[in-house]
Amino acid sequence: MSVARRTISTPVILALLLIALALMAVFSGSRPFNQTIIDIFLRVILVVGLYIFIGNSGVISFGHAGFTCLGGYAAAWLTIPPMMKQTLLPGLPDWLMNLQLPFWAGAIFAAVWAAIWAAVFGKILMRLSGIAASIATFAMLAMINTIYSNWESVTAATSSVVGIPIVRSIWPYLIAAILAVFVAWAHSISRAGLALRAARDEPTAAAASGIDAPKERLVAFIISGAVMGMGGALFAHSIGVVTPDTFYLTLTFITLSMLVVGGMGSLSGAVLGVVILSGLIQGLRWLEAGVSIGTTTFAIPNGLQEITLGIVMILILARRPSGIMANSELNWTRSRSEDPGV
Amino acid sequence: MSQLSTDKLSVAFAGLKALSDVDLTIKPGHITGLIGPNGAGKTTLVNVLTGFQAPTGGAVSLDGNALNGLKPHQIRRKGIARTFQGGRLFRDLAVIDNLEVTGVGLGQSRAQARAEAVAMLDWIGIPALQNRIAGTLPYTDERRVAIGRALIGKPDYILLDEPAAGMSGAEAADLSALIRRIASEMGCGVLLIEHNVGLVLNLCDHIVVLDSGAVIETGSPEAIRGSEKVRHAYMGTAAETNLPVLETLS
Repeated sequence: MSVARRTISTPVILALLLIALALMAVFSGSRPFNQTIIDIFLRVILVVGLYIFIGNSGVISFGHAGFTCLGGYAAAWLTIPPMMKQTLLPGLPDWLMNLQLPFWAGAIFAAVWAAIWAAVFGKILMRLSGIAASIATFAMLAMINTIYSNWESVTAATSSVVGIPIVRSIWPYLIAAILAVFVAWAHSISRAGLALRAARDEPTAAAASGIDAPKERLVAFIISGAVMGMGGALFAHSIGVVTPDTFYLTLTFITLSMLVVGGMGSLSGAVLGVVILSGLIQGLRWLEAGVSIGTTTFAIPNGLQEITLGIVMILILARRPSGIMANSELNWTRSRSEDPGV
Repeated sequence: MSQLSTDKLSVAFAGLKALSDVDLTIKPGHITGLIGPNGAGKTTLVNVLTGFQAPTGGAVSLDGNALNGLKPHQIRRKGIARTFQGGRLFRDLAVIDNLEVTGVGLGQSRAQARAEAVAMLDWIGIPALQNRIAGTLPYTDERRVAIGRALIGKPDYILLDEPAAGMSGAEAADLSALIRRIASEMGCGVLLIEHNVGLVLNLCDHIVVLDSGAVIETGSPEAIRGSEKVRHAYMGTAAETNLPVLETLS
């Protein structure tokens, strides 16, 4: 039986889980709940994007929020009405100034834009491994953030870029999340995915087996960059506004936490980590906003979200270092203690 | 004539010479033994031949073409495979996937790589291990899987770094038979590094003896058996580590 047939149940189960969440949102008829599920789908895209690189290469990246930033601003450049762009972003070239694409086309171009930059950065960074690579990815994030925070005429610097068409329908986000899951699975079962996991587990033996680890890392970096770029574009369309700090340290921390909690070596873990921690975050948001009991309103201090996430991450790392799913995947018959692509 | 060879190969670590002007030739279908006391430079030589260690002098060539400067994966793609002392299997992957990785590394599709991996497991006599997770294998099977992984793609040369270490007499005999088949049936040139000198003397067509990074003797097993230089090299270290080797050698 081919590797695709042996492992197809994993992305199918994950897609069904996401479809179930979407149907819950639709049938609930609640707009806030709809937005909550959209947020979950966005995080699924981003965390699965992270998994494609981190899960397969074993290199922790602190820089992937940078690709989300590239995607988010690309969506802004491509979908904000030209009249608004002339005011907000006067430095854009004429062809871009006068262009206005539908959101889905903007998201595709955003993915391509992020992938191009992933290729540029990755060509240099993927020669590194271990902690050196991790620090270099953080430097990349800092560079992107600094450029976008200061290029007044093109990014509006630290000011909010408004006017991005808001997409409230849950279906585009669902489709994108399922697409991300299937892209991650397809990479995982590909030659590149197997080669990268081999290089992750035993780099010396992998090199002696003919594997060019930097090249395989670069392939994963580009694919994950594209997924993060698409996620960034949809993120922008979910709230209608972007600033550089939307895509900086907090996003990095939250997405990495979700991947660590779910299990860095598992696609199922990436998705379940999002669902579990998103539930926790939503509960904490609710408590931060205040809960009225009788005439008294109880609220927890702002910022407790991040603190709680930190505690959960530390507990998971201490008690179950490889995350909830470890290296296993959801499967029709049983949980397999193998990578999805094996 | 096709051959893998070194010409005055030298390696120095911070002034300490690990290899000094080593000349070595490995021919297709032949088994060449590489022996020497601990610290003689045997593994360093294999590391240089496979691109894991850059030489500080001399050259490595394949069929007359220099290999210096190539990376390990590039050298593997030129048909020079190796195993490692510790096995170094991909421990979380199944045995079949361990072999499939090499096929993929050599540019095969996953389906092609899997088909060759299945055939290879059959050829080396361990088809039943196909779906075992590599990290759960006993030591002897681990060594066989490592050899199978290196043989994927039918390399022209294979460098075996202490494949019999820790094996019983019967297991070492099975391994000897496998190594003979690699040379005779696949036409692969074998470089065998082994502390079990008896196994090397019985198996190899030609033997090279290293001591302190330099070649001190080369020749047939018979010539090596009678060499005073070799005897002296081993006796020099026998008091420290290699008393059993002395017995095997004589």
